[in-house]
Amino acid sequence: MTRRDFGRVAVIGWSAMLGLARSGTAAAAQAGAVVRRNNRSLVGGVQFGLQPFCYHDLAMTPENRSTLVRRLVQNGMGLVELHATWVEPRFAGPGISAEAAREKLRAWRLGNPVDHYRLVKKEFDEAGLDIFTYYINVNDSFTDAEIDAVFAGAKLLGARGCIGSQGLDVTRRMARFPGRHGMFLGVHNHDNLSDPDAINNEASFVRALGFSPDVRATLDTRHFTAANGDCIQFLEKHHDRVSSVHLGDRRKNNGRSTPFGEGDAPLIEVLRLIRDNRWPIVVLLEFEHGTLRPAVEEVQLMFDYCKRALS
Amino acid sequence: MSRPLFVSGGLIVLLSVSVAGQSPASTTTPARASYDIDFIGPPLADPVMQHAKETYVLFGCAYCHGVTLTPRGEATDLRRSALVGADIDGDRIVALLRAGIPQTAKLSPMPQFSDLSDRQLHDIANYIHYARQESRYTQIVDATRATGDAAAGRAYFDQQCASCHADGPSGIARSYDAPTLRDRLLRPPALSGVRSFDVTTRLDAKRATARERHNHLLENFTPAQVANLVAYLSAR
Repeated sequence: MTRRDFGRVAVIGWSAMLGLARSGTAAAAQAGAVVRRNNRSLVGGVQFGLQPFCYHDLAMTPENRSTLVRRLVQNGMGLVELHATWVEPRFAGPGISAEAAREKLRAWRLGNPVDHYRLVKKEFDEAGLDIFTYYINVNDSFTDAEIDAVFAGAKLLGARGCIGSQGLDVTRRMARFPGRHGMFLGVHNHDNLSDPDAINNEASFVRALGFSPDVRATLDTRHFTAANGDCIQFLEKHHDRVSSVHLGDRRKNNGRSTPFGEGDAPLIEVLRLIRDNRWPIVVLLEFEHGTLRPAVEEVQLMFDYCKRALS
Repeated sequence: MSRPLFVSGGLIVLLSVSVAGQSPASTTTPARASYDIDFIGPPLADPVMQHAKETYVLFGCAYCHGVTLTPRGEATDLRRSALVGADIDGDRIVALLRAGIPQTAKLSPMPQFSDLSDRQLHDIANYIHYARQESRYTQIVDATRATGDAAAGRAYFDQQCASCHADGPSGIARSYDAPTLRDRLLRPPALSGVRSFDVTTRLDAKRATARERHNHLLENFTPAQVANLVAYLSAR
């Protein structure tokens, strides 16, 4: 099998597995929608995308969305994890209290703004960009109806799941919603080892995954490494419940973020593990290490590093 | 643009250089091809402080605490941090950078930077102080509109200023109007601007102490304290 053949097989495998093989619920219905028209960031069978938090100079607002789309294309990305702040209108402003702005946002979400979501999806579709996941930090201020509305909106965007940095308690509460929409709920780790509610290591991931078969892990290699976790061992054991990896580098022992290859995260090994096992795990590039370069240039360096790792 | 710009940990790139055998025009380096001016901002007048700023950015501080110390997300606001306000020459900031803050209620703990050199850690601390002074100056100038309390100003002067200004306020106030007096309190012209490397100036301990002391005051003044001082000194 040539590398090209492998790529073809892998894209079919990735597409099918994301929808079908991963979930015990309605997520299977998503399978057809996953096949990409223009999958420009499939490399050696590994599906890459970007966490656009990386564009640090760009405020994550609806006003900057067109710039975001342009940059993603410039960086050769075909897939993105889209933060809600790129999508939802902002109600905060002079003379509006935080509470009033929060209520307006809730009302907007519950108002079923179908056309708005479709318009956003169209912007990404036209640029050949797939919205893989919708990133939103749900907290105790969300009503059940609001959580349901968030999943419904994310589905209109074409997202296969909603993901956030919520802790275990909120994850438990959210876990019953994604199945209603044929989606998954992603849980993302940080490295706070002093908070019993935090998702920060294998044990806390396992607890979160136990709340529902629709819960998936997004393994953040930076934070997992900083918390002295073993990314390779985690993927070997739990790959069938991992939807994506936030790929970045950090040093152990709550160390700092570093450019790719300068930290302790086993980035090359993670990429090859995903490729060689044909796991349908999406790799979302993310960086928080400092750079003097423009973010587009830094993202390109990271992406090129990954391509070399898979060559 | 002929100002030196530091990239990649201190390597000087001259943006406009003249190479033997070539005309200056033909060797002008494309300015900041790899310098994110939109995020980092234009280079500072003081190249030493520009290097410190780039160190602050290079090690990722700016993504959480902001290039101009306007924090993002859950990060501490260094413009208002008591620890930064109490820090003298990095004595507190550097120790914190080395250890990080692993125990926290926040989502992400402050990382530790123990692998950085002393010089790098002090550069980060120096830039934090610089940026805080810039921020406080703007904040105080914007806020110091109302007339202050001269009695409170005198009490403050006696407590914080008199140890150096032993001749009292008469040696300071002269005939400045209130805004000029306020600006000279915040940034005494003789102590501000790009630091000189002239040996005589560098060895002037009194000047160095005065500069450090005024910068420390600037970082910790409240607008009311400045208004009170101006009221007291203007009344002399």
